[in-house]
Amino acid sequence: MEELKKGGIFTISDLQNVRINIGEIVEEEEEWEPMGPHPMPRIATLRDWDFKLLNRYKPFYAPVCDMCCLCTYGKCDLTGNKKGACGIRMDAQQGRIVLLACLVGCSAHCGHGRHLLHDMIKKFGRDMPIDFGPEVNIEAPLTRLVCGIKPKTIGDYDRVFSYVEEQIVQLADALHTGQEGSYMDFESKALHMGMLDSLNKEAADIIQIACYGMPSGFPGDGPDVPFVDVGIGTIDTNKAVIIVIGHNVPPSADIGVYLTENDLEDKVELGGICCTSIDTTRVYKKAKIVSALGRQLRVLRAGIADVVVIDEQCIRADVLELCQRTQSPMIATNDKAMHGLVNRTDDDPDKIVDDLVSGKVPGVIILEPDQVGEVAVRTALQMDKKRRSLKFILSDDEFKYYVNDCILCGGCTLACPNGLRIGEANKSAAAGNIKPLADLFDICVGCGRCEQVCKKHIPIVDVMTKAAYPQLKEEKGRMRIGRGPIWDSEIREAGAPLVLGTIPGIIAPIGCGNYPNGTKDAWLIVKEFAERNYIVTLTGCMAIDCALWKDEDGKTIYEAHHGGFDAGGVINIGSCVSNAHIHDAAIKVASIFAGRPLRGNYEEIADYILSRVGACGVAWGAMSQKAASIATGFNRLGVPAVVGPHGAKYRRAFMSRPDIKEDWKLIDASDGSDVYVEPGPQDLLVACETVEEALPMMAKLCFRPSDTDRGRSIKLTHYIDLNQKYLSAYPPDWHLFVRVASDLPIATRDVLLKKLEDEQDWKIDWKKKKIEEGPIRGYNPSFNPTNLERLIRRKK
Amino acid sequence: MGIEIPFDVATIAGPEAGDVAPPEVIGSYISSASRPLLAVGSEMLRDEFFIEIAIEIGKKGIPIAATGHSMRGFVEKGYTENVYYYNLHELTNCLRDPNWKGLDGAGNYDFVIFYGIIYYYASQMLSCLKNFATDPLMRTVSIDRYYHPNARMSFTNVMPRMEEEYKKMLNKLVESIKG
Repeated sequence: MEELKKGGIFTISDLQNVRINIGEIVEEEEEWEPMGPHPMPRIATLRDWDFKLLNRYKPFYAPVCDMCCLCTYGKCDLTGNKKGACGIRMDAQQGRIVLLACLVGCSAHCGHGRHLLHDMIKKFGRDMPIDFGPEVNIEAPLTRLVCGIKPKTIGDYDRVFSYVEEQIVQLADALHTGQEGSYMDFESKALHMGMLDSLNKEAADIIQIACYGMPSGFPGDGPDVPFVDVGIGTIDTNKAVIIVIGHNVPPSADIGVYLTENDLEDKVELGGICCTSIDTTRVYKKAKIVSALGRQLRVLRAGIADVVVIDEQCIRADVLELCQRTQSPMIATNDKAMHGLVNRTDDDPDKIVDDLVSGKVPGVIILEPDQVGEVAVRTALQMDKKRRSLKFILSDDEFKYYVNDCILCGGCTLACPNGLRIGEANKSAAAGNIKPLADLFDICVGCGRCEQVCKKHIPIVDVMTKAAYPQLKEEKGRMRIGRGPIWDSEIREAGAPLVLGTIPGIIAPIGCGNYPNGTKDAWLIVKEFAERNYIVTLTGCMAIDCALWKDEDGKTIYEAHHGGFDAGGVINIGSCVSNAHIHDAAIKVASIFAGRPLRGNYEEIADYILSRVGACGVAWGAMSQKAASIATGFNRLGVPAVVGPHGAKYRRAFMSRPDIKEDWKLIDASDGSDVYVEPGPQDLLVACETVEEALPMMAKLCFRPSDTDRGRSIKLTHYIDLNQKYLSAYPPDWHLFVRVASDLPIATRDVLLKKLEDEQDWKIDWKKKKIEEGPIRGYNPSFNPTNLERLIRRKK
Repeated sequence: MGIEIPFDVATIAGPEAGDVAPPEVIGSYISSASRPLLAVGSEMLRDEFFIEIAIEIGKKGIPIAATGHSMRGFVEKGYTENVYYYNLHELTNCLRDPNWKGLDGAGNYDFVIFYGIIYYYASQMLSCLKNFATDPLMRTVSIDRYYHPNARMSFTNVMPRMEEEYKKMLNKLVESIKG
């Protein structure tokens, strides 16, 4: 043997034309922690844990469709929980559809991560180190937890994705007719898919952080990351404008590199929509965030883009048509979204630019990220001159004509996901008052269904945009760029107060913009909890949308609060894939603060988080299949989530029954005794009708059995106060969370004791100010709650 | 009143779609219930008239589950006697269980009136009850300004210009419910 080449290939000197490929070389891993019981779990490995969750939080189904049409036996009518021809009942069919949604979501993140890994290995090599600086030693908590791997280089993620890909295929197999028949097992599989999805997200973000030097654990990162402009009004249309849309950052990063290397940063605006925009600002500091997903149609219709660059996920299916309408050439950069264009990868950039600028082609495909920057920038510079005289906002006369043309047929309202009464607003505008129409702009989710049914062919989206244009021009927000991982030192500081309850919880607004009542709700959620000293960790579209609003001092919520993982912090974690760092923060609380072993130890860590870490996700505008798998991943790890009313259309929720005592039996791991506890957290996935209802619900879902009396009193204060503020009443179940008098807020203790005596018939010793009889249980500071018998330290 | 399209046009679930009915018929249907429940949502807060209608129904002995943030309307009106806050998702989760003890501890209900709830959210909850609260059968109606195919009976779609007509329908409905 003479020569060992890269990739395990070597040649033998005396044997010409013989090549032996030994495949993957697995180096012996350093013994960094003993392996736990469940490395790389398969479908059935964590089923017992899932069933513990599913027996308490029983799957609730609200079908969107009462039929099954997946095979040629059907269509089958399953109404009333009937069985289809294959034998599947409606409940199992709903579980099947939920698994399918999670499969799609998980595959999107896995495909994204794998694609990124290919591109990054090609550009930087497999040995690109994962070094997140002095503040982040546990670099990949989910990877360690699920896979038992401590990744040192990006190449280590090959094994992680291979594991996920195999599991995805096995889970997809279970969807076939004649496979799974139990809704409980479909849900266990969905939970498995959700966990894999969280792993995908962590992998994708770690790879891009490592390769692009995005913020992590170095000085200047973390709480100290810089701010970035947000909003349509921040885009300088006197420059050439490139708009990037999607989630996979390499092509956008290449645009930033090209602009920097060619000294064009002051001549071209690079702005983005959705998560690509967040990630672009993590690599190119002059990039701007134009909007979240909900305004994609309207930003494209406004015609501000001289070039549109798409990568993958959350791109409108009619994006090319929209670009053609405004004469904006489009560049597709990912094989998952090619929109019928011609692949021009490796073609001469001069020719591509000429074809785009001349209008010979409406767009091109360029699949090599490093070829995108030059074409996009040169095209934008030329198109800027060509398009400068074009106007896409309606003139005053056009606006007047259209609002007067409305016949109030109501067709648009029936087509609108939010049932907006557009005709009435048109009527007001025709009479001279455009405010109702302008006010609809923010509530509109930007789908465009209304225009397709308008009998008078009114361009309703454009009419609404025109009405709101004066405000839109001034839409200039600010947010911190995505900071990625929470620092280990922050976990050391915040871990104890979180578990003890003195920091009342982590609120995690995440996901899409399918809000029931506009973006201001996103801002209100963040403001309300940050001002109450919860830690607010945001990702994706909600992170963007809440930055559009300002307080009375003219500050956005990010400017008004610090960016650290501590009480009152408002943290932009980053894009969709970055929200794995929210899982990671909870995992690190268990690991760093409580010293629980991580490696291959998912069940124990999830059990710890469910009982002790008061965290609650909120996907107020959840829309996509990714949001389904993200929420399901949070749920398996023991983190509940609240969704907006549109979230009821996910068909499935996980809610408990506080009135069924046996569902709330935990084990005290210190002595093995059974303890009946209060319902904390009461639900794992629940929809609220309005933001006013969601705010107290989120506070409720932060109760945990491990709360100290001081922590419980703080949580109760907020739960009761939020109910009084938004529902004008005490919550009907607040007494369930009272164990002893010291659980009650000091300022209102007497009032609350009296209410317990009068309304719940509890016995109070007024001399000692003690509760003598009534609560579900007393307060035991050494209570060590668990759902897992194997964690009992010694039997009584 | 003839065939109607769902308020959100694509809400066509399958072969079983509820009937559009006038207020007198729905009122009579409600009167046939042994243990009816009124589930009220936050859209009720858009006009005092609608809160008063809920209170009128409550005064006929039908308990009220105030969902969303509709509780606020009842508190402001000083009517809380048989009004209980409940999240609609959680409420529906209980309603599908025949063994649930109800808001007053006296057992589950046999009839739910949906009122003032965001269309698509109500539609999903009605779908749950239609498909899974079948033994014993949970009867449902909607008295909102929308046609709800997942309810067994509902009003027709009411366009904004017909708001006064809708108010008259609600008045007629209240009159026809036997207390």
